[in-house]
Amino acid sequence: MITKTAWKNIWRNKIRSLVVIASVTIGIFAGVFAVGVMNGAIDQRIDEVIDNEISHIQITHTDFRSNNDLACNIKDVSRLEEYISGIEEVQAVSDRLFVVGMANTARKSTGVNIIGIDPDKEKEIFGLYKELKPGTGDYFGDPDREELAYIGFDLAKNLNIIRYEINDNVIDELKSAGLPAEILTEISKFSGERFDNERSFKKAMRSVISAKNESGYGKLILEKSQTFRERAKFTLTFVDSNNQLTGGVFRVGGIYNIPNSMFESSQVFVQDRILRRLIEFPENTAHQIVIRLKDVDDTRSMTKKLRTDFPELEVLNWKEIQPDMAMMSDFAGVMYGFFMVIILAALAFGIVNTMLMVVLERIKELGMLTAIGMNKKKVFRMIMTESVFLSLAGGVSGMVVSWIIIRITSTRGINFGSMQEGFEAMGFSSHIYPDIGIDFFLIVTLLIIITGVLSSVYPAFKALKLDPAEALRTE
Amino acid sequence: MKVLELNNVHKVYNTTHIEVHAVNDVSLNFEEGEFAAIVGPSGSGKTTLLNMIGGLDMPTEGKILVNNTDLSTLKSSAIIDFRMRNIGFVFQSYNLIPVLTAKENIEFIMNLQKWSRKKRDERTMELLKAVGLEDRINSRPAQLSGGQQQRVAVARALASKPRFVLADEPTANLDTKSTETLLDIMEKLNRDENITFIFSTHDARVVKKARRVITLEDGKVVSDKTRR
Repeated sequence: MITKTAWKNIWRNKIRSLVVIASVTIGIFAGVFAVGVMNGAIDQRIDEVIDNEISHIQITHTDFRSNNDLACNIKDVSRLEEYISGIEEVQAVSDRLFVVGMANTARKSTGVNIIGIDPDKEKEIFGLYKELKPGTGDYFGDPDREELAYIGFDLAKNLNIIRYEINDNVIDELKSAGLPAEILTEISKFSGERFDNERSFKKAMRSVISAKNESGYGKLILEKSQTFRERAKFTLTFVDSNNQLTGGVFRVGGIYNIPNSMFESSQVFVQDRILRRLIEFPENTAHQIVIRLKDVDDTRSMTKKLRTDFPELEVLNWKEIQPDMAMMSDFAGVMYGFFMVIILAALAFGIVNTMLMVVLERIKELGMLTAIGMNKKKVFRMIMTESVFLSLAGGVSGMVVSWIIIRITSTRGINFGSMQEGFEAMGFSSHIYPDIGIDFFLIVTLLIIITGVLSSVYPAFKALKLDPAEALRTE
Repeated sequence: MKVLELNNVHKVYNTTHIEVHAVNDVSLNFEEGEFAAIVGPSGSGKTTLLNMIGGLDMPTEGKILVNNTDLSTLKSSAIIDFRMRNIGFVFQSYNLIPVLTAKENIEFIMNLQKWSRKKRDERTMELLKAVGLEDRINSRPAQLSGGQQQRVAVARALASKPRFVLADEPTANLDTKSTETLLDIMEKLNRDENITFIFSTHDARVVKKARRVITLEDGKVVSDKTRR
């Protein structure tokens, strides 16, 4: 009876209760969704780092990471790889050469890490080959061309390999993409002109279109105007194993585009047999062994095992190679907690405020209930139940709304295209797929119930302190 | 049989500067089945006296024995329990629970006493018939007239078969017809169930129906007349 009455009491003032429930719903949704977006972004970043950049576990010479010396290499690599690939938890294993050098074109040069890989084996470990920008090549698909290199989009821009040009094809593409006719007319003035870099193209664009149009269509124009000379040539220079300066002419065999600008502008992949020859490096040696596991959850145990198996080498997992990722993941956990504490505190204050008003408005009725024989324990329980119902109604609807929105956005993603450069500078994708584990939902629901119970104690105590005779005299 | 005994009861309220004697040395006895009205001008102490009889307030001095139990010896939780089992209340402004139906309002006290559903249903229907509202069983207070609400309040007061009913100005907000109907119902229930009714009232129509009229002035009993 008390439960039924408490439920009905909530709907006594429908508008007030709905406002409270709506505010709790919005608060919970905002918190959970923000956590979902953060979690999704971090998970995506971690997945991308593992999938494109570092794999699950790397093995190097103990001094290699600190000085990048070519002499700090792993001997008898094929035997090691054979042993590692025989471990049940391991999905794939490959070795790499690693040289620090310079990439040069006629106009520009920049420092890069040159990584010698076996393209086919790499495909089993990394997904970077899938990030090939359409129309820029075929990864290492042409067996006759040994001098091919797979470079990042930002490096291609830095080396002026990507250029900008307005031509008839670009005009047609922009037209079908919905660019207004007046802007098309303006940018057509540059038809036939070629710009070596993004900066000069943007400068030219700004001279003919307004800042407003640039913010609305600039990105589209920039993307469509990019031109790329197939198999563009550039040179890589570096020091060989005899400490002699050497190098080679390479052709762009493909340009990869990932959310990490730093990686894109610094990592150049070439075939390991070419690099081995250029640096005069012995066969069956490598600088790095990269390992992909079948299940990421085995990372810790496999790291431990490999350390025991190869005590003379350095075995590091992705969390140790990129401690910022691990820290980001841990810090995010703290942030989620902090977020939820703020939201639950707001929920608690909302409930306390509403229930105090309820008690104040119903002084006479509460006095009557005590007069007719409802003891203080039951009055207390009734007010508590009302508060819990109110919290639960808002909390549960907040969780349901969050779950639905997160489910929808987790498949479609949210595009923060306007902030793409900022996101990518930090290594994050601007297209985020929010994600939250079921355990988080369960914990938050439990916390909502606890908050509802705790925040109802004070109003319920207020109701207990009422003197029935005094309360009955209240108008 | 004596159901209520007031011995030299005083109630003094201490305001900041002065003491107010709301009830001043009142001694009264009530027998089972009485239909009594306490009358007097505003501020004469009628409501204070009823509150003390009902255990909602405690006398500053003197004793109140209900069924030979001295209320001042009971703990507050025991007083609430005692009230629930022995005393029914009817208030001037009905004080029904607005979110509950007529049936649920009447059942409320039986629920507190954990009556079985069957017993509750039987008693509720019996009372709704007695107050002539068996067709308004599922109406909420807002859907009932003032007179009907007060009849539900009377039914609620009688739900747990109390020893006596205390009614504070029960007809103050009612029109003549509703007052007459209510008084007839209460008089009939008083006779049929032998429940003692004690009213505080200004209403001459109630006084006319009462078989005993106690007049208070400045907290003192100035007359106590019983009619046959």
